[in-house]
Amino acid sequence: MKNEEVVRIFMENSAKVAARPIRVNGIIHMNEVLGEILANESAIYCPGISELEKAATIDTERRVDAYTDATVAVEESVAGIAETGSVVVTSANGRAVQASLLPAHHVAILSADNIFMSLDEFFAGLGKTPPTNITLITGPSRTADIELTLTIGVHGPEKVSILVV
Amino acid sequence: MKRGSGQSINFRDNARRAIENTTLRRAMRHATESFRQKRSDAIVGIPFEEWREQASELRKTVIGDIKGYVDEFAVNATKRGAIVHRLKTAGDARDLIGAILKDNGAKNIVKSKSMVTEEIHLNKHLESLGLRVIETDLGEYIIQIAGETPSHIIVPAIHKSREQIGRLFCEKLSCDFSDDPAVLTNTARGILRQEFLTADAAISGANCYIADTGSVVLFTNEGNGRMVTTLPPLHIVVTSIEKALPSIENLPLLMRLLPRSATGQTLTSYLSIITGARMPGAATGAKQLHIVLLDNGRSEIANGPYREILKCIKCGACMNVCPVYGMIGGHAYDSTYPGPMGVILSTLLNGIENAHPLLDATTLCGACAEACPVKVPLLKLLYELREMRVDKGYNKTAESLGMAGFGMAAKNAHIFQAGQTSARALWPLAGFLSPLTVNRLPKPTNRTFRRRFS
Ligand code: SF4
Repeated sequence: MKNEEVVRIFMENSAKVAARPIRVNGIIHMNEVLGEILANESAIYCPGISELEKAATIDTERRVDAYTDATVAVEESVAGIAETGSVVVTSANGRAVQASLLPAHHVAILSADNIFMSLDEFFAGLGKTPPTNITLITGPSRTADIELTLTIGVHGPEKVSILVV
Repeated sequence: MKRGSGQSINFRDNARRAIENTTLRRAMRHATESFRQKRSDAIVGIPFEEWREQASELRKTVIGDIKGYVDEFAVNATKRGAIVHRLKTAGDARDLIGAILKDNGAKNIVKSKSMVTEEIHLNKHLESLGLRVIETDLGEYIIQIAGETPSHIIVPAIHKSREQIGRLFCEKLSCDFSDDPAVLTNTARGILRQEFLTADAAISGANCYIADTGSVVLFTNEGNGRMVTTLPPLHIVVTSIEKALPSIENLPLLMRLLPRSATGQTLTSYLSIITGARMPGAATGAKQLHIVLLDNGRSEIANGPYREILKCIKCGACMNVCPVYGMIGGHAYDSTYPGPMGVILSTLLNGIENAHPLLDATTLCGACAEACPVKVPLLKLLYELREMRVDKGYNKTAESLGMAGFGMAAKNAHIFQAGQTSARALWPLAGFLSPLTVNRLPKPTNRTFRRRFS
């Protein structure tokens, strides 16, 4: 288990950038919280690639195969970065990085063990042959292009929930 | 933009017109104030000086060996399936990009913000080939439908008020009038979503490229950068040769400085690191990835006395703190890059014979140099270019005399210190602004030239 302090800083910083971090204790608790935050979603995309995604209980009636049709994407993030409150998604293992971009709500499942304290730690461990696409997601999609007024939810999700397992 | 001789930028008339435009003045005042506030909030409690020193050194290393980093990048990116093109001129880049799109039968092209494509006037060229090009960054989209050019390198439509944007959308997109940024953003989102999903090809810029991994990096907030780099089957990245970082391990430094300096954010919503084309069996990325590394005069700048301008990471902080930019906005500069950085880069890229009037666009107050996250010596470069302008005889006699005096004094430390007051009096804009305006401009700095450069 990662140092609780790193998890705490991650939660604090991701909340600062308008994501919604939720700490869950194990798979059962994760599925309870998932049930609540997915209650109003009509089309759920969850690729079931990783162990945590396989363990997530998704209502089969509302589950969709195409992320383009989804109102929410539930996916495991390979890493979190406490310094910036970011979650990391990559194209490794056949994952479509754009799946967490198109739906209005992105639910990231993040193992507490995969949270790095700093950007340096994360990038130092990356090696010289990174996956085709590495995306750091820091809060919801936003713009300030009109009179520098902050507007949430432009092309990407307006809601980012993070379940820290 | 390269001009023929005799077509030099009419900066003074442009500036006068901008100052008379009250809507623009109001928009710029609001923008500058909120930018400055955000940036100063963002650098509280961080070792900003230490980071900018490190970043300055890093960028110096890069511009000392641009060719070496381009070579290393090209090898690594090619290994990962990207096609790297090293091009000399704007014309070469336009022709090549047009040809790639034509050869692939692409008709609908989505673009995410790229100042280098503005520099080479790419859209106009592609449209002349019958291609449909849609800008997808909200600010770029606004100015595209308005038929204008960006007035800021980070916030392209900063000169427009919400009412103006509301009326523009109403007229061009046949929607109901609203001046609510959330409603306007939503209108654009709906239209652009369809464009992303149906586009044949994408063109994007890159904030930097990484030599040791062959990656290109994009910082975005809206998500359009992620869309264009993941959805269309063909992706062309257009960037310039000086934007290298030696290693992916240097990225955290840039990540800490660029968003804070640009928008006051700790980090942009998205950071995309793209390494090569889509792999067999993968579900992300363009099947064909072209990376255009454009020189367009930069190698020459890198070998000359003003090379440090190439350290620039295009954050926009220098324009946000510039009293001249804040007064007149970006269009008055009539060149791709406005503000202090723009004055220097445009003068070097376009030649002093064409761009010399731009050197009036400074109060020499030095606020730009103090804000720059990579310590581009903006004030020093502005002084030196103005001296060069005097040497080449491109300015009025009165200033020549003053500058000659300045040059002599600068060689002699005692005279120089004594002459500070008169040096500050060489305040170029003061002569043609109304007295009211002059009073509102921050006065030239009282800190001495020597202290700054020692
Ligand atoms: S010169 Fe410095 S402050 Fe200006 S845009 Fe470039 S990096 Fe930013």
